[in-house]
Amino acid sequence: MTGFDQLIAGFSIALSWKGLLYCFIGCLWGTIVGVLPGLGPLAGMTLLLPLTFGLDPTIGIIMLTGIFYGAMYGGSTTSILVRIPGEAASVVTCIDGYEMARQGRAGPALMIAALGSFVGGSVSILGLMFIAPPLAKVMIAIGPSVEVVLILLALAVISVVSAGSRIKTATMLVLGLLLGTIGLDNLTGAARFTFGNANLAGGLSFTALAIGLFGVSEILINLEKTEAIKAIRPKMRELIPRWKDLRDSAPAVGRASIIGFIFGIIPGVSHVVATFVSYAVEKRFSKHPEEFGKGAIAGVAGPETANNAVTGTAMIPLLALGIPSIPATALLLSALTIHGVQPGPLLLTDHPEVFWGLVASMYIGNVMLLILNLPLVGIFVNLLRIPYAWLVPIILIVSIIGVYSVNFSVADIWIMVLSGGAGYVLRKFGYEMAPMLLALVLGDRLEANFRLALTMSGGDYATFADKASIIVLTSTVGLLLTVQGLAWAFGYRKSFADEAEGA
Amino acid sequence: MSEGSDTAPATTGTVLPRAFCVRRGGIAMACALLAVGLIFVWQASLLDFGGLGLPGPGFFPLLLGAVLGASSAVIGLACWRESDEKKTVELGHYDVLVVFVALLAVPTVFEWLGAYLTLGVFGAALLILIARTSLWLAALSAVIAMAACWFFFQLLLGLQLPTGLL
Repeated sequence: MTGFDQLIAGFSIALSWKGLLYCFIGCLWGTIVGVLPGLGPLAGMTLLLPLTFGLDPTIGIIMLTGIFYGAMYGGSTTSILVRIPGEAASVVTCIDGYEMARQGRAGPALMIAALGSFVGGSVSILGLMFIAPPLAKVMIAIGPSVEVVLILLALAVISVVSAGSRIKTATMLVLGLLLGTIGLDNLTGAARFTFGNANLAGGLSFTALAIGLFGVSEILINLEKTEAIKAIRPKMRELIPRWKDLRDSAPAVGRASIIGFIFGIIPGVSHVVATFVSYAVEKRFSKHPEEFGKGAIAGVAGPETANNAVTGTAMIPLLALGIPSIPATALLLSALTIHGVQPGPLLLTDHPEVFWGLVASMYIGNVMLLILNLPLVGIFVNLLRIPYAWLVPIILIVSIIGVYSVNFSVADIWIMVLSGGAGYVLRKFGYEMAPMLLALVLGDRLEANFRLALTMSGGDYATFADKASIIVLTSTVGLLLTVQGLAWAFGYRKSFADEAEGA
Repeated sequence: MSEGSDTAPATTGTVLPRAFCVRRGGIAMACALLAVGLIFVWQASLLDFGGLGLPGPGFFPLLLGAVLGASSAVIGLACWRESDEKKTVELGHYDVLVVFVALLAVPTVFEWLGAYLTLGVFGAALLILIARTSLWLAALSAVIAMAACWFFFQLLLGLQLPTGLL
């Protein structure tokens, strides 16, 4: 079957009643998650993870991915109407989006954000469709030694580009790799760090850790905040932007699509970085840079487009290489594994319906979100009226049930609670959780491929410096340096994103 | 012109945060991570290390434990050399402590009391203690929530949660 035929087959899955229903559920829930401060896409995806257990893997992943990019749409709503980012990637939108709302232009801001998100999302889906298959073919041809190099490179990049102190990030990476060694050794079956506890034989539950580190710790941190939420409520007739708004934002949308596309592929680069780079670029290219910070439409269009452009391209390393680049895709990897589908180079040959069904559903989901977000903005604003203290028990109860239902083990609830407490304290002292989670997911494969490569080469470490490894290493490092250099040239500084991630 | 709307405060509890010096707290965190690294090194040393050419199950964790210990020591040293004692971080907010203690209680009784009873009491307790609702409202909300959970998770999704005492 050609790629086009497979895409048609994917649409047949995505347009089935189940595909449409679960795509809608994912998009709606993702938007709600994005609107509600303190409940990020990762927690939102984990809460609905049990819902996927009885579903076909493709349908389950369609729903989870819908939550992922739905949250990006939803986050802009609170940024513009309340000046509180629904999730970290919408921090930049607060700057000019809220100013536009204060000037009575909340409607155009929301509309441009939605249109920009649609375009950015569409570009990234095209990228996913055209880049992932040939990349997967290349990966099949290379051996475990190159995979080790790639994973080490990914971890190194995460260490450099993630928010916060680099040494602390590296420490969290190593801790994640260490936690990944708990359980039975894949090659010899030896029990490692189980202390005789049968519950730990399978290792630490990724779902429990993810919910604990991101969900529970986030809830605990948000409980400290007591600010009242004052939301600006736009009227429906005010949603239509002026022709000038569309004209001014079009170039920003175009540039941001490319920025988000490129940054989405780099592991460890969160959506926050892409949005800050986009904002810096727009300010540099603008004929009226003094308007930025005072309600410049390009200051909303650029970041929101870049935000959604990252989403699709972040799926490329996951689906083609089996390497998650951000925590949300790490959860998707875990969900696919639970369903018996291993993401990676063989996904397109062994389970093409999963890949193409997902691509097709992302097109459909993108349209759904464009239609959903604007008419329902009043409902979303009302959600913000629910006191956070009422949301906390609901979120925690669903989290506990979700975590328990993965393995039906109370040990997983303990892991969730204890990791939540640890995550809360670690975050207070400037340690980031995302690197630990990514390393936890990658650690198993890193070790397995490392030992396999050495077995195949008879213990010769030169296998990690063979021709293929060097080509992959140098081309990837070259691309990364180019991208980082361009971002720096346009005025992006890591400190901006550090502050935003800590906001 | 768009209209604004006020909402209730997100939380209105009595908060008891205690200020901890970032420098000392950072040293304590680094020491904790160092201890974790040393525990992994110790346990890994009991496993088969294999050889450099053919690593065994103990190779990776031993190496990683050592690296963790080293990086924690570097962080601890950096914190110790930090001269600013005035920078603080607040820990021990009332609502945070209440939620965390309640969370610790859940897995303790989850299978004995049963999922719905445990989570119902958990939810009601949080509503009373952090949302400051009345007892009857909290109890009613907990019953409705548990009925909804039973319908959604057990009937619709077919998830069998422990029934415990029920």
